[in-house]
Amino acid sequence: MDSLQYLLLLFISTVLINNFVLIQFLGICPFLGVSRYVETAFSMGLAATFVMTMTAFATYFINTFILEALNLEFLRYMSFIIVIASLVQFVEMFIKKVSPVLYKALGIYLPLITTNCAIMGMALLIPMNDYNFIESIIFGFGAGVGFTLAIVLIAGLREEAQYGDVPRDLKGMPITLILAGLMALAFMGFAGLAVV
Amino acid sequence: MAEYFAIFKNGLWNENPIFKLIIGLCPTLAVTNTVVNGFAMGLATGFVLISSEIVISLIKKFIPNDVRIPSFILIIVTFVTFTDYFLGAFFPDIADALALFIPLIVVNCLILGRQEAFASRNSTRRAIFDAVGMTVGFTWVLVLLSAIRELFGFGTLAGIDILGAGYTDMIIMILPGGAFLTLGVLVGVLNLLDRKVGSDNG
Amino acid sequence: MAEKNNSIGRLIITLTVIGALGALFLAGVYEWTIPHILEHEARARERAIMEVLPEADYYEEVTHNDQIFYEGYDENDNFVGVAVSLRGGGYAGEIEIMIGTDPEAREIINIFILNHQETPGLGARITEEQFRENFENAPFSELEIVRRTPEEPQEIEAIAGATMSVEAVKNIVSRVGDIVSEYYGGGS
Repeated sequence: MDSLQYLLLLFISTVLINNFVLIQFLGICPFLGVSRYVETAFSMGLAATFVMTMTAFATYFINTFILEALNLEFLRYMSFIIVIASLVQFVEMFIKKVSPVLYKALGIYLPLITTNCAIMGMALLIPMNDYNFIESIIFGFGAGVGFTLAIVLIAGLREEAQYGDVPRDLKGMPITLILAGLMALAFMGFAGLAVV
Repeated sequence: MAEYFAIFKNGLWNENPIFKLIIGLCPTLAVTNTVVNGFAMGLATGFVLISSEIVISLIKKFIPNDVRIPSFILIIVTFVTFTDYFLGAFFPDIADALALFIPLIVVNCLILGRQEAFASRNSTRRAIFDAVGMTVGFTWVLVLLSAIRELFGFGTLAGIDILGAGYTDMIIMILPGGAFLTLGVLVGVLNLLDRKVGSDNG
Repeated sequence: MAEKNNSIGRLIITLTVIGALGALFLAGVYEWTIPHILEHEARARERAIMEVLPEADYYEEVTHNDQIFYEGYDENDNFVGVAVSLRGGGYAGEIEIMIGTDPEAREIINIFILNHQETPGLGARITEEQFRENFENAPFSELEIVRRTPEEPQEIEAIAGATMSVEAVKNIVSRVGDIVSEYYGGGS
């Protein structure tokens, strides 16, 4: 099953067909909270993609070699959240040291990522779907790309909607949710692309 | 007593987690396709919220400020894991329906947000009122949203046929797109109500 | 919040104590709940096996090469069929299906969807009796999806709006013939 074609399908399916935000409802908080401008949305997406790929890597090992090997499944949620929180902390320190420019762009979004349920959701889906190592990495990376795609698209729409004549009570969150609903309907059109 | 009641009432409307604070939306959108699921999710989240607010308000003196957030998360994740196993053991149907979204209560910003904003700086009794108010506020919006979606999506309410056999199910209400659209319109309507009626409320 | 005494040692001790107490508590919860969870799983599996092997009175688990086979017997200990549980990818996640077969006749007796995450109201209709009836008496060969009332035993009627889910079920069920024939070589 590890053929290149299969992995490519898994990637496409994670990015488009099962888009984390629009189809699986994961990562809604940052999706609505940090999507006012395309530029910041893109930075948030980038940071999340990076952390998600790293998390996929780390949780695969922890789940396979510690939790399942030692029969400690009841500590799964606890260990995953610790991994994510420490990874975010580590990434923050690393970026600060290596690239101050990037740190300036991403800095304030990094702590927010800890409570981004897309990351926890992705970590939990890996053992649920029995993904192997390569699949886990592709899945984590694809989930991040899908998140970035959704958040950048909605930011683009919101920038336009600012100038639209939106009814008073729909301004802000409600109109954003409606835009997201229309995007979700559009994304359902990808369903025919592949079966994984 | 009036003071406690004010704290409780806060969560129902003025600081309603969903349509005022706009937090905790992932489960709000994902599990509200039937009333039973919406209600169960509200209760599960409420249980975690209430227990962690109690524990954190009790031990707040012993937690150093620098590791406050990690400590809160550790306490929350303990209660979430408990909820997950408890539902799996005694309510397997609900556990199956809510699946992934039970563990995701850990990262529900509502829970961590209340610890940081309320439980860590108030007495246990006040924290309980806050948690119960937030739970009721979260649950009623979930139930309302899921009732709208289930009624139009399946023609039923809590599994009981309402619209009759002749009703054509509007599948869109059950699909992800319908979740966003319904919540968007619902928040808009609640905003309108708030503006027209709620001015005396605060 | 305690502002003073924020030494690294104290931070580590606090977190360790909270984590350890939490883990200890959860270990207890696990011990308490896991028998119930396993029992529910076993009961769900048993109900599925009885559903797909309606003539069976009891069943026995036999493992061949890591695949578990549930051999069904009637009250006179006559072999009535064998069930296997197979999984595969669906539209939204994995689908797990219990499939009852009659190796002598090289036929499927019935199927039962154990787990799925398909869209409610669309893909989830694969669990309905009406859809599952399609598989009764289906042969051990590649099955076909048709968009009309099925006429041949190998034909499966599609569900509107659930093409992917039906396709997934068909692919999973189509595998059962080879797996069962390998150990229950009847009919040759």
